[in-house]
Amino acid sequence: MPKIAHYREKCIGCNSCVEQAPDRWKISEADGKSILIGSKKKGEVFVTEIRMDELEANERAARDCPVRIIKILK
Amino acid sequence: MNKSIEIMAPAGSYESLMAAINAGANSVYFGIEQLNMRARAANNFTTEDLKKIVKICKEHNVKTYLTLNTIMYDHDITLMKKICDTAKEEGVTAAICSDVAAMSYAKEIGLEVHISTQANVSNFETVKFYAQFADVIVLARELTFKQVKRITENIEKEQVKGPSGNLVEIELFIHGALCVAVSGKCYMSLATYNSSANRGACLQNCRRSYKVIDEETGDELVIDNKYIMSPKDLCTIGFIDKILDSGVKVLKIEGRGRAPDYVHTTVGCYREAVDSYKEGTYTEEKINVWTKRLETVFNRGFWHGGYYLGKQLGEWSGIYGSKTTKEKKYLGLAKNYFMKPKIAEFQLEAFEVKVGDEILITGPTTGVIQMNIESLFKDEKKVDSAVKGDEITFPVSEKVRPNDKLFLIVDVKNDKPN
Ligand code: SF4
Repeated sequence: MPKIAHYREKCIGCNSCVEQAPDRWKISEADGKSILIGSKKKGEVFVTEIRMDELEANERAARDCPVRIIKILK
Repeated sequence: MNKSIEIMAPAGSYESLMAAINAGANSVYFGIEQLNMRARAANNFTTEDLKKIVKICKEHNVKTYLTLNTIMYDHDITLMKKICDTAKEEGVTAAICSDVAAMSYAKEIGLEVHISTQANVSNFETVKFYAQFADVIVLARELTFKQVKRITENIEKEQVKGPSGNLVEIELFIHGALCVAVSGKCYMSLATYNSSANRGACLQNCRRSYKVIDEETGDELVIDNKYIMSPKDLCTIGFIDKILDSGVKVLKIEGRGRAPDYVHTTVGCYREAVDSYKEGTYTEEKINVWTKRLETVFNRGFWHGGYYLGKQLGEWSGIYGSKTTKEKKYLGLAKNYFMKPKIAEFQLEAFEVKVGDEILITGPTTGVIQMNIESLFKDEKKVDSAVKGDEITFPVSEKVRPNDKLFLIVDVKNDKPN
């Protein structure tokens, strides 16, 4: 299963990932940064596995993130 | 003109902050977290930094302005309020806002508000509107000088006051980069890279070179300058008298992404220019010297006058990156400073340094020291030069701290297209 990594600290809260893959991403009202749903924090990075059928939407999210902090690890 | 003129400098790092303070800035502006126009910057300040910055500035009697000027979504409101609360608590002088949500909250908690260039204030009616929130308003960089003057005169005439009860003060950009679009209204970076300038993530792709191709025939237009969207930088050192005469009170220098020597030089030159103007010694010769000095730090070529003097169409940069006449080469790090004899010790990690060379020392507490090496020592023996690997000492009148960086300043040959 593919994995996604989110370097959350650098997030500028533009909401683009939420628009692309709303099942995996939501925006935090507390600090204005996005949250990778179901992820666990490993060091500086939030990581989770995703299903194959989520891959396409999340690849779009990674492609469009303006600060390039979403990485798909296949 | 009794009221003092304020020079406001960008502080994108501790080095730049100290450079601004040492060079005579009256105020600095900086951003924290993601709601500022340099959200993309690698070394963004945090809330902890804010406390430190305010403390340093208070010690030096310098005002602090916090930039809070991106467009804001509903999900940003909690963070925006938190930032305002912290700013108020820590004694930040004012918040620089463009979104009404931010300015109205800041006003509610009694935090002074300044209006950002992102709000693009271009007429007197808008100044009157924002005066209900703000005491200082920066005018759009796209205004001509006559338009600026008319606005400041009207403030006087109609006695437009901010929340503090004083007349609203007008701030103007006096130096630095110009936006190809109207500030706050550019969608180029967003449209091409999904990276919104108005969320502090401008990729500055207008600065690149472009080709113009006829899609039907494939013919390429020959243009003498491929940098068709990159304006030269604004430089007002030659007519700062006109700006001050017009009643502008706050002079703002652009460049939170710039190196400390840029901040040091720009603040220093404009400080001298303003002081000369006040003393009645603002002369052509001095202007030439300042212009030469300003050319030694990052610039894309100067547009003397910019919009303010009502030039017609843009003057385009013609280069990618800087047209600076000097560049700095990293030499090494400071190891020690001996207070009594005022001697600094450095470990050379690259190149060669000679007696007479112009050097730059920068550090988060030191700021910027620019000087020529008058004498040089290796193993306590006088030498004429030293190379990579050497440990050297030489006199520096100001205090240097361990790990401060040492640079060699050299002339650049500008053979790039103009
Ligand atoms: S696209 Fe990137 S910057 Fe924007 S909210 Fe998502 S992770 Fe943050």
